[in-house]
Amino acid sequence: MAAPARPGTEADAILGVRPEAVYEPSTVEEAVEVVRESARGKKRLAFVGGGTELSLGAPPAGLDVILKTGRLARVIEHAPSDQIVIAEAGLTLAALQATLASHRQRLALDPPLPSRATLGGIVAANAFGPRRARYGSVRDLIIGVSIVRSDGTVARGGGKVVKNVAGFDLPKLMVGSLGTLGLIATVTFRLYPLPEQTATLVLRGRSAGQVSTLVGRLREAQLEPASVVAFWNDGGSFDFAVRFEGFSKGVAEQCERFASLVLGETGAACDRLEGAVAEALWARHDTLRSEPSFRAKLAALPSSIESIAAETLPPLLSALESPGWVWYATLGLGFVTGEPRSSEALAAAVEASRARLARGGGTLVIQAAPAGVRERVAVWGPPPPALPLMKSIKERLDQGRRLSPGRFVGGI
Amino acid sequence: MPAYPYLEYKGPMSSAPAAVPRDVAARMAAVVGASHCISEDADLRTYECDGLTGVRVRPALVVLPGSTEEVAQVIRLAREANLPIVPRGSGTGLSGGALPVPGCVVVALSRMKRILELDLENGWVRVEPGVANLDVSKAVGPAGYYYAPDPSSQSICSIGGNVAENSGGAHCLKYGFTSNHVLGARLVLADGSIADLGGPVLDTPGYDLLGVLVGSEGLLGIVTEVVLRLLRKPQATRTFFATFPSTDEAGNAVSAIIASGIVPAAIEMMDKLAIVAAKAATGVDWPVVGAALLMDVDGPLAEVEHTADNAVELARAAGALEIRRPRDEAERALMWKGRKSAFAAVGRISPNYTVQDGVIPRSEIAKVLREIDDMTRKRGLRVANVFHAGDGNLHPLVLYDASVPGQEQSAEELGGEILRMCIRYGGSITGEHGVGADKAIYMGEMFSADDLETMGLVRCAFDPEIRFNPGKVFPTPRLCGDRPGKAWRE
Repeated sequence: MAAPARPGTEADAILGVRPEAVYEPSTVEEAVEVVRESARGKKRLAFVGGGTELSLGAPPAGLDVILKTGRLARVIEHAPSDQIVIAEAGLTLAALQATLASHRQRLALDPPLPSRATLGGIVAANAFGPRRARYGSVRDLIIGVSIVRSDGTVARGGGKVVKNVAGFDLPKLMVGSLGTLGLIATVTFRLYPLPEQTATLVLRGRSAGQVSTLVGRLREAQLEPASVVAFWNDGGSFDFAVRFEGFSKGVAEQCERFASLVLGETGAACDRLEGAVAEALWARHDTLRSEPSFRAKLAALPSSIESIAAETLPPLLSALESPGWVWYATLGLGFVTGEPRSSEALAAAVEASRARLARGGGTLVIQAAPAGVRERVAVWGPPPPALPLMKSIKERLDQGRRLSPGRFVGGI
Repeated sequence: MPAYPYLEYKGPMSSAPAAVPRDVAARMAAVVGASHCISEDADLRTYECDGLTGVRVRPALVVLPGSTEEVAQVIRLAREANLPIVPRGSGTGLSGGALPVPGCVVVALSRMKRILELDLENGWVRVEPGVANLDVSKAVGPAGYYYAPDPSSQSICSIGGNVAENSGGAHCLKYGFTSNHVLGARLVLADGSIADLGGPVLDTPGYDLLGVLVGSEGLLGIVTEVVLRLLRKPQATRTFFATFPSTDEAGNAVSAIIASGIVPAAIEMMDKLAIVAAKAATGVDWPVVGAALLMDVDGPLAEVEHTADNAVELARAAGALEIRRPRDEAERALMWKGRKSAFAAVGRISPNYTVQDGVIPRSEIAKVLREIDDMTRKRGLRVANVFHAGDGNLHPLVLYDASVPGQEQSAEELGGEILRMCIRYGGSITGEHGVGADKAIYMGEMFSADDLETMGLVRCAFDPEIRFNPGKVFPTPRLCGDRPGKAWRE
């Protein structure tokens, strides 16, 4: 085999499942060779980037080989005037952003841990951050992909132009697929210019109802924030943070209008955070999402924040030590995090919250949890209605069911 | 008529009976109602082609179901009788995506045009597929909302067709395509079962099958409901029209504007011939110059005024001859009317024309347009260019006279040369019109056999019998029962 293997250790384990061997290919060709060799030996494979989202999903039903993408870290093509970049999957987000910044551009994705999170991992995990409010998620920014299927076949989808409808959208199929359909070898993204100015405003100690009202007012006022995040404080109130980005004149005007809208609505003045203080707020967001041992992702209609705060989440939050809840108020997405007080109580609270959310079409997925919680409650929750189709896709693209079997939705 | 390899299609479903057995037709009529089941030869003629009018195939039967359940029953009946199915929206597609297959049942969704559910607070609407694109924006416009994708045919084209084609439009430069604005869909599969993908709540767990569905050109199933994202109208829009000595300067202006960090809502380019045609058709008082740009910026007021002023300066610096800013909404509407009617307007200056659709990296626009000009001159033909310059989406209109022997053939070949050039530049054979029947032969030049095989496997996961739209998009579809992998292709 082209790339040398080393034996797997406890540190390599995915959700407690330890691989026999770990490969770290340094070229895509070597990676293809690892996948082909694994196919010949009928080995079960998992792909690992920066390892920031290894807690996602159920433990794999079996794991022989881990392919780490960390050495596949080249920028293949950056065309600044076309605002696209093609890069290998193992490149970290921070390294990519550093390259792009010298051309005053960026990839408009801001999940936590950018210095570890890799592009391939971000795609496979559908990772996102507060800027999703304005720029969308991975699916809105990815325009091309090359994958290595479990039999070693290399296939490409999309292209390197933003507008392109030729063939099926394989790039979107890979988004959130957690390595169960193939190795993401390279990705192509559309880029945005770096904004001239960024401003963060915070309004502290608000109720869920006020958060909901302010979101409506923002929309009515035709403001276009880059991020709209409500941080729940233990005690029930929210800190409502809004970030504007763009040309200086536009940002200044949007800040003014937002501040006066807030004053009119609540009688309170909002703080404009400068430099390090603003950075600290967004760092608080990242810490809240990445550090606690328990993390659940919630999805619901944005307007349901009041009922979620009043009815859906209290049992879940009270089952956690140092509970946190961050809510992307325009998107209807959020994360609840903390340290489980007792596995039984937390598992029961998850079930109860999940059932309440489901009544409004919402979902709750456990993204990180200690083993004791995982034993008691399914991480994915009830299977999505299109599960048979999803299984059919998996069966076609990974015939031997060797890519992270059992880790994905519905046992895929 | 040009030779379409599509007509020689020999894949799955091509051995379907030439006509629909009478009892099957009767059962379908019983499902949808006799008046919504078309089998008379004269009436079938309406469905012989879509917007790609050069090739026509008479379908065996056309049914117009009125509900998801009726669609499912029609599909089950077609399956029992082993008939291919061709879905159809408004028939405005330009790549032959709704072109019938011999012996097929066309399932036309034009009766399903209700708006089912509206939730402005959360920014979405649930509609049936037959609703016209513009009717969505009309329904929510008074409340200050709109549906962003705006194909030129938006007053007629249907949402279901937009979903099939992943339709774009002038303003997708800033706002994205249909796939960025579809939140959910109800899909009837080849076995008559129903699958719900996505919905108003984001991030349904599982694979992003909705992402695969949008733009799949009617190959995966029939969409019977769609959840669309609605946007709040921008606070302000600024428009300007700039003229240039040639497409070189106009292309450079586009590059300079984008490089400055401005994200325009739309930048459209027209060359001299397109300007002449637009003037003839709409009476816009544009000067006849080498090239013109029509640009929109929108968003919060101060941001928009700043970016519009900057863009105008950049256009001047790139060599603009004249810059016009509309004084009022009526003037702005006329400018856009001139642009949006440009395709049809070409009919005023040429007896025949074809519309091409390809994409190149936008930084290559000036170079590519010169190359197209060279190719065109060599053939003694004319090309009018009117296109989405901001995202490099070319629409060369190849003008010809069918009464001159050889011209139609030559125009056809020129279209092919242009597509190959797009591939050579790292672009795409289609930016928004789709592959359909028209461009399936070029798929093998843009994608490798392995790429196409992978897409074929995805298709088989949805439609193992290749019942939907056989012969479209993929030049040589495989039987889904075959074993995939290397050995399979030998």
